[in-house]
Amino acid sequence: MNGIVWTLTGLVATLLDQDERDAVLGDLLETHESPLRGFLGVLGLVSRRQAALWKSPRPWLAGFAVALPCSYLLMHVSLSVTCTYERLVNHRLYTCWHTGHEGFPLLLCHILLLITWSWSGGYIVGSVSRRTLWLSTTLSVVPAIFCLCMWGPALPSRLCLFIFLLPGIFGAQWGLRNASISFGVALLLAATITVLMISAWSNQALWVHNWALVLPAWYLVATAWRSKRQTGLRSMGHASMS
Amino acid sequence: MLGEFEYLLITVAAGLGENAYGAAIREEIEATADRRCSMGALYTTIDRLERKGLLETWMGEATPQRGGRAKRMVRVTGRGVSAAKEFYDAVTRVSRGASWAESR
Repeated sequence: MNGIVWTLTGLVATLLDQDERDAVLGDLLETHESPLRGFLGVLGLVSRRQAALWKSPRPWLAGFAVALPCSYLLMHVSLSVTCTYERLVNHRLYTCWHTGHEGFPLLLCHILLLITWSWSGGYIVGSVSRRTLWLSTTLSVVPAIFCLCMWGPALPSRLCLFIFLLPGIFGAQWGLRNASISFGVALLLAATITVLMISAWSNQALWVHNWALVLPAWYLVATAWRSKRQTGLRSMGHASMS
Repeated sequence: MLGEFEYLLITVAAGLGENAYGAAIREEIEATADRRCSMGALYTTIDRLERKGLLETWMGEATPQRGGRAKRMVRVTGRGVSAAKEFYDAVTRVSRGASWAESR
């Protein structure tokens, strides 16, 4: 029983920062705290830490302004790409889903858009709310699971709703590592997405709401520009001091 | 001004001196103030006081009885000492004339 409680305590403590986890678990061992009291103590600390995180607008923005709406749109794009692929390659028509009228070039354009939209959205979510990523992740799969429950049998494949998650996870991993993107790369990414979207739009192959998906890429440009400017100012300051 | 628990924590940490760290502070508060001190209250208060500049913390040595885990060491800053003194003076002043203070 004690072993189980101690394992649970260790598991709950993983939600704390490395240093704090060490300090807290070390304190429990040193003071020979009873397993139950120790567990409740760690649970209380984790609850306080989690509650404090939600006082900031960042997790709310990451979850409800980025993850949820983007995943809703990206789920539709994933489905549309699958249906178009099925129509072009396997000559299978899904009348209940928007398969588009496009040929291979526009399909490729949509695949590229799906990857870049998802990656940039994932990056934003990962970098903005590292410690509340669990909520953003949950919200990202909610639209797809809802759609799966409602129209599962009519779908080309159950997995097609989740295609966007793969590049999204890669993006989130980058964001979590706080791997910075240079201004040039961010600008290239945003410009590529915008050009691809204009191309799809001019061929009537873009849902109007999908324009919202360009925002994460331009947000990346803005943050990369800001960090470039700050680095420039700092180096100017050092130069003037020396 | 400090809160009651903040004052307790600063006073105990100052008393422990070089040996002030999480577990020791907690045990001392429980023993001297005769009240439960939860892990959550202790560490969130340490963080708050550190943000206010009243405490400094750093990760200390790891010992075998802690399973090789490091301690979070605590030191009261000059501002922390002033804040504690201000709290103590205020409590002393306000307690003058109180029946429980006179009986001591």
